[in-house]
Amino acid sequence: MEPAAPSLLELQRALRASLVSHDDRGISAHIVDVGISPAERLDVYRSTFASVLTTALRLSYPAVHRLVGAEFFEGATRVFIEVHPPRSACLDDYGEGLADFLSAFEPAASLAYLPDVARLEWAVNRALHASDAEPLDPRRLAALADAERARVSFVPHPSVGLLRVDHPADLIRRAVLEEDDDALSAIDPGAGPARLLVQRLATGVEVRRMSESAWRITAALFAGWPLAAALDEAPGTEASALLADHLAAGAFIDFCLNETSD
Amino acid sequence: MNSRAAALRKARDSIPAEAGVGLRFRHHREVLESHPAAAWFEVHTENYLGGGSAPACLDAIRRDYPVSLHGTGLSLGSAEGSDPAHLARVREVVERVEPGLVSEHLSFSVAGGNYLADLLPLPMTEEALGIVCRNVALLQDHLKRRILVENPSTYLRFRHSTIPEWEFLAQVTKRTGCGILCDVNNIYVSACNHGWNASEYLAALPPEAVGEIHLAGHVVKRLDGGRVLRVDDHGSRVAPEVWALYAGALARFGPVPTLIEWDTDVPPMAMLLEEAAHASVLIEEAKNGTRRALAA
Repeated sequence: MEPAAPSLLELQRALRASLVSHDDRGISAHIVDVGISPAERLDVYRSTFASVLTTALRLSYPAVHRLVGAEFFEGATRVFIEVHPPRSACLDDYGEGLADFLSAFEPAASLAYLPDVARLEWAVNRALHASDAEPLDPRRLAALADAERARVSFVPHPSVGLLRVDHPADLIRRAVLEEDDDALSAIDPGAGPARLLVQRLATGVEVRRMSESAWRITAALFAGWPLAAALDEAPGTEASALLADHLAAGAFIDFCLNETSD
Repeated sequence: MNSRAAALRKARDSIPAEAGVGLRFRHHREVLESHPAAAWFEVHTENYLGGGSAPACLDAIRRDYPVSLHGTGLSLGSAEGSDPAHLARVREVVERVEPGLVSEHLSFSVAGGNYLADLLPLPMTEEALGIVCRNVALLQDHLKRRILVENPSTYLRFRHSTIPEWEFLAQVTKRTGCGILCDVNNIYVSACNHGWNASEYLAALPPEAVGEIHLAGHVVKRLDGGRVLRVDDHGSRVAPEVWALYAGALARFGPVPTLIEWDTDVPPMAMLLEEAAHASVLIEEAKNGTRRALAA
């Protein structure tokens, strides 16, 4: 017997269930089955869905992919894709939750540093695709009186990000991407936390290790604290050199003046 | 701007009735450094949504070549309607690139709030026709320009479809004023998969609406018992049967901008230019045919 014709909304949600959850119950009866079964026809779409998204994740997480190998990566991402299908047609934005997923993914439990490498790769991916913006011209800052400068709150460039990881994810990522096995085997994965600045420069995305004090000041500046208050986060730091570095790297795009400096 | 500069600018803006090439990331550097003799390029809009080096490369390439934007994520057939955030991002790219053509697909890719990463088939019903027309009109209003809508490759049909795909497409252009991006390979693939007559499909499209043609390779997927499905993987040269159908399309539509697409195992630019050169020969023949017809 012919099934009742579904509405377009019902049909599209049933096809979604078939692709994402491999549940064909809502869709099969509506598909013409001459010569080739609905399941075989749906397999073509299922295969594209899986391969497009696996490829998107592989491009965003190249070091994770090399660390675990293609087969493991594909197995893990298939589960991830089913639980977290994309919510946007912009695939550069897809895969944000992979680090958290991996930290709860039992088969990867022996690689304690893997979620941190994923976290770093996501920060790099974000920096790579962040919106363009003109960097702040340092002369605008130089034109201020000292008292005014203390009250400056910066607007960070869309591509900058700060990250604290428990494992040396920056060293691991670099050794893996450079295929430097000697460097990789020399890394102690338990070598304590690392504080990282990730930003897009003209030459590409840079991952820079920072001291705890520089990281705290930078975090305060990126959060929009007035300059004087941000510097108070770590008194005695070479703050002027740090600020000059950030300005030279284009880490800020604008500033405003607060009523008070704290 | 003097008139010659304006004419040059215009020549770089509109997509000529010549053979262009689908531009992928691996060819960015080569195009910028060696300026290959492609008449125009087409890119996937969704690959240039943010900032950074890819959009910067496209900006530079756009200064030397006409560029067409081909979308894959607007999901014109979604009953849920278009994603306003995605629409806004696409508009930013259109404003930045100032493309000669903007196109999308007769398909859907968003359901239940998820992007399904493929161009999925629609039931050919009055309800779907109304929804596609609404979404196309919305997109054209949003972009303040006419778009082209491409016929898809499909691997399944729905039992409750009542309208042939070619009539559906013709109705969308009639009701919204959009144009047609006639993918000749897709017609061939779908015709083989569903037992349609590819030439009749072509003959049913309104010639005045066809603003672009796509050509690509496809693969024959073998199932057990000697059964086959043709799958549009854009991973090889254009098949001889598709070239033959393309000649028929040019005879019917006249010379139309034609694109060589290649997305799987993207080959060197030289091979894409070879395929484009083959299309150029057929376009020239169509131009001569048009001239003869006008002279007669």
